[in-house]
Amino acid sequence: MTDVRRLDPAELGAKYEQWIELISKNHHASNPRVVERQQFTPLRRPLSESRVALVGSAGVHLVDQPPFHVETVAGDPTYRLLPDDLDMSTLRFTHTHYDTASAQKDPNVVFPLDRLHEAVAAGRIGSASRVHIGMMGFNPDPTPIAEETAPAVAAVLETEDVDVVVLVPG
Amino acid sequence: MCHRSVGLVQSELEAAGMSTVSVCLRPDISLAMKVPRAIYLRFPLGNPMGEPGRADQQSRILEDLFDLLETADEPQVVELPYRWRRWL
Repeated sequence: MTDVRRLDPAELGAKYEQWIELISKNHHASNPRVVERQQFTPLRRPLSESRVALVGSAGVHLVDQPPFHVETVAGDPTYRLLPDDLDMSTLRFTHTHYDTASAQKDPNVVFPLDRLHEAVAAGRIGSASRVHIGMMGFNPDPTPIAEETAPAVAAVLETEDVDVVVLVPG
Repeated sequence: MCHRSVGLVQSELEAAGMSTVSVCLRPDISLAMKVPRAIYLRFPLGNPMGEPGRADQQSRILEDLFDLLETADEPQVVELPYRWRRWL
């Protein structure tokens, strides 16, 4: 297993406060909303029996789906349903707040669906969800994400009997 | 802001009974969002799973995400030792 270092939240508080100050200057719609209540759900079954979904917030969508609105100051809290059997060459990345060059060369850099399928084939996880989720993370006011998108995404994945979700930002 | 959107969705999924883990390039934001589990990589934005064309690296990071799901018994953000362009 890889050597990991556990981060102490106290190390990083000042950097976060600076970021909140920066976005409140640059985006008039910004809102410093955070998660109020810590959540933690232990695995309900071994990974080898678990169904796993991906959530990519790097502006991931299919070529025939509407792109995310990236020109508005408010961001775009909508999401796209991505079928598990999608053709990786049909993925698009609409996001103006990170450099999409790597994602365009290799979609697995921001949406590692091929790697997930390999983990299923190797027996490391039980199965892949029939549906994954694409989002665009640039949302100066995260209220619609918290109050509409997040519950809607949770409902979709619950319906698909998903046990485990891996989330990848842009 | 991606990290904040991810954090909000991640918490909702946990509250709905699913176990989650995220990749994180800005640990200050992920910690502020009280994410249940995340791995921090010192990679540039736009490269959360590493370099394009490096399936071995992507698989390794996915395995690290699975390891954290299996070993974490309380909320935590952990830093992996990989460095950009000399990750192993």
